[in-house]
Amino acid sequence: CLLAAFAPVQAQTQSANPISLVKNSDSLVLKVDPQLTLKPGTTVIQAEQVSGQPDRVVHLDHQVEVTRGDLNFTADKATYLQIEDQLDASGNVQLRRNGDCYSGDLMRFILETGVGYVHNPSYFLAKNNGQGRAEKIEFESEEKAKITNGTYSTCDGLSPDWYLKADTMSLDTGIDTGVAGKSVLYFKGVPIMGTPSWLKFSFPLSGARHSGILPPTVGHSNKGGVEFGVPYYFNIAPNRDLTLHPKFIARRGLQLGMEGRYLGETYAGESAVEIIRDKLTETTRYFGTSIHRQAVMPNLVLSWNMNKASDNDYPADFSNSTNKTAQRLLVRDIGFDYYGSFWNASLRSTSFQVLQDITAPITAPYERLPQLTVHAGQSDVWGMDWSIDALATQFWHPTLTRGIRTVVNPQLSYPYIQPGFFVVPKVSLHAASYQIEDPLTSKTNRLQRTVPSVSLDSGLIFERRASLLGTKMTQTLEPRLFYVNTPYRDQRDFPLFDTALADFNFAQIFSENRFTGHDRIGDANQVTTALVSRFIEDNGAERFKFALGQRFYFNTQKVSLDGKTNPSRSDLLLAGSGQVSDTLNVEAALQVSQSDRQTERSSYGIRWQPAPKKILNLQYQFQREVLKQLELSGQWPVAHRWYVVGKSNYSLQNNKMVEGLAGFEYRADCWALRFVAHRFATTNLSNNSGFSIQLELNGLARIGFGSNPVETLKKNISGYQATN
Amino acid sequence: CGFALRGAVVFPFQSIYVGLPESSALGGELKRNLRANGKTEVTSQANNAEVILDVLGETRDKVILSLNSQGRVREFNLIYNLKFRLRDKAGREVLQPTTISLKRNLSFKENEVLAKEAEEALLYRDMQSELVQQIMRRLAVVRMEAPAKLD
Repeated sequence: CLLAAFAPVQAQTQSANPISLVKNSDSLVLKVDPQLTLKPGTTVIQAEQVSGQPDRVVHLDHQVEVTRGDLNFTADKATYLQIEDQLDASGNVQLRRNGDCYSGDLMRFILETGVGYVHNPSYFLAKNNGQGRAEKIEFESEEKAKITNGTYSTCDGLSPDWYLKADTMSLDTGIDTGVAGKSVLYFKGVPIMGTPSWLKFSFPLSGARHSGILPPTVGHSNKGGVEFGVPYYFNIAPNRDLTLHPKFIARRGLQLGMEGRYLGETYAGESAVEIIRDKLTETTRYFGTSIHRQAVMPNLVLSWNMNKASDNDYPADFSNSTNKTAQRLLVRDIGFDYYGSFWNASLRSTSFQVLQDITAPITAPYERLPQLTVHAGQSDVWGMDWSIDALATQFWHPTLTRGIRTVVNPQLSYPYIQPGFFVVPKVSLHAASYQIEDPLTSKTNRLQRTVPSVSLDSGLIFERRASLLGTKMTQTLEPRLFYVNTPYRDQRDFPLFDTALADFNFAQIFSENRFTGHDRIGDANQVTTALVSRFIEDNGAERFKFALGQRFYFNTQKVSLDGKTNPSRSDLLLAGSGQVSDTLNVEAALQVSQSDRQTERSSYGIRWQPAPKKILNLQYQFQREVLKQLELSGQWPVAHRWYVVGKSNYSLQNNKMVEGLAGFEYRADCWALRFVAHRFATTNLSNNSGFSIQLELNGLARIGFGSNPVETLKKNISGYQATN
Repeated sequence: CGFALRGAVVFPFQSIYVGLPESSALGGELKRNLRANGKTEVTSQANNAEVILDVLGETRDKVILSLNSQGRVREFNLIYNLKFRLRDKAGREVLQPTTISLKRNLSFKENEVLAKEAEEALLYRDMQSELVQQIMRRLAVVRMEAPAKLD
């Protein structure tokens, strides 16, 4: 018993109990030695004074202790009826079983069946630290107990910070569930929530997943006013669950939300839907999403990712996180993938719902209705790697040139790889055929293009023992050369279905084509040079990496998307990252233009995590003429039990806070309070701002998922750890 | 300055089973690199191998890295996490669960979403190759205990 008030110290000594009565099946036997090894099911009765009729009734007085198996009673006074197997105890009665404990004034208990009652009890359940007091507890079986006019809390002590008070409560330790009748929830002595008797309020008696109410969230937003949500979690089965999250939004009405997850041997997925009859717009507004993946046959997988919003502004009006508002394309993708022995094929259809913003319209992307892809390849066939990609796609756009494109792209390489060096010569062919149609004139046209390409990749790996920051490590030096030759083909008449200039980075400079997609094959007569150095600890972990790379062009590139011609050298890439110490990580990447010595793109980041739940992130992102922003985020304990959380995403280009979040968490032993305020841009002119408050009472309800403050913090603050 | 061409990589085990499905691209590249020294056998059955590489988690996350002043995504962070361990035949952990985490930046524009899809695939392939090299470095230095004696 952890309740000190109900756990009298056991001062029993052997000398005080010289006599034991041992019940062996049907007779009571006097035993002098209490250390005797007992058979399971044996009842051991001890007391300072024992009287009565050994075969029928035993009266026990002073420091009574009765033990059978994992059951243990203590009391001032007791009577044991042997035939009924019934114990009547009074005065400081205590019953202990598997770490659970019940104490009271008066108890009746049938040892065999576990049926009985206790008056004025207090109780303690070991699994979830559940405890409380009551008028009466009736034991219905070994696992079930019914509490009359009782309390329940997971806080220790006689005056718990929170407790549930109910006219009836049924505790079932077998299924780890408590169900309360008419109940009132008190926090710091103040009633904060009440439930009527018809609503059976259930709570978990262990940390396991359990159906029940999730911590309610109260908040306010500039778009909806006061908000109040009480999610309900259904633990349908170990591999499926459902969360209902009704939310009352003062200015708009009642929003109904539902989120389900499931996992089977051959399938997995999750779906969510939200719907509201909006009082402001006087329309029905909704958002739905469904992700599913299923093996319909051993090698055939069906998968989809479908999203739909009722209108352009739905995420901006109802979401309290940039994760939904920042993405203005909702994908609708469905298809089959087949995995063969050395080949795979997929048939997919992809389209998008564009959430338009009148102040900054978005050009809709092409839709693929559908796309058939076949990839085949094998490595190490007489030392050679081969692959063929074939694609056939029907591209559709409401206003731009539509068409059907077929592409065949065979590649053959001969990698020669040794521990200290590698050489990979490769030849490839890119053949494409277009059948295009102008949507205005309905004029059709056929276009064809075949582009061969040869490349040679090569590199050396040197190593030495080196010392860095006082640690002996292996340092590598890896120079690499990559030559590509691709002839020029005039591609000005070809549409741009799925093609753009790729980001310039270390993955890109070792690709043959500077474009991503299949509509442009860049002419090339160029060599990429790069040098990488790594510091590797003796356990094989990479501690630091430094890299620099640049491309040199031997010709003037003619294939271009914007008509710009290239200088003789590409931008210079520089990158470094590593773990300075156990708590400090740094990374930096820089792309410098060689024509005007200006930074094209850069990224710097520092993460400092001196202890769990103590983290600071600083990140700077720059893209010339697009983006210049500084982000600071973190979680930090400021006082005992108090944590501050925050994030600021500031655009130095527009001198504007793009996203800001601030909050605190207070963590007590048996509850936590969270407050999170946030503000983020949703369009050029408008912002979302608001706050939410959540009180989590440990053990009464688990923290759910979806739109609650913990989830918002996890998504916004890299490295955030929930305090409870 | 002390640099010498890297010598042959000798793994402290003769045979290994890689616990990734046949269709896994990561598994394919890893097996190929393990076989490259010509001395390590990659078995197709777990019970034939001296050590077993268990993949405890392989996750790919795409998180928003930066927003423009209209609150739209302009950069994503692609994060590739792999958690694995190495066991010997007797089930003892030769290499404790180890997580390797790699990330890449990807710029984004709504009208280029199809092009960015192909670029994302390129960046994941690039991370996959780096992941394989880092796994190889870890495997090359594991300490094998003496084989368990059978009574």
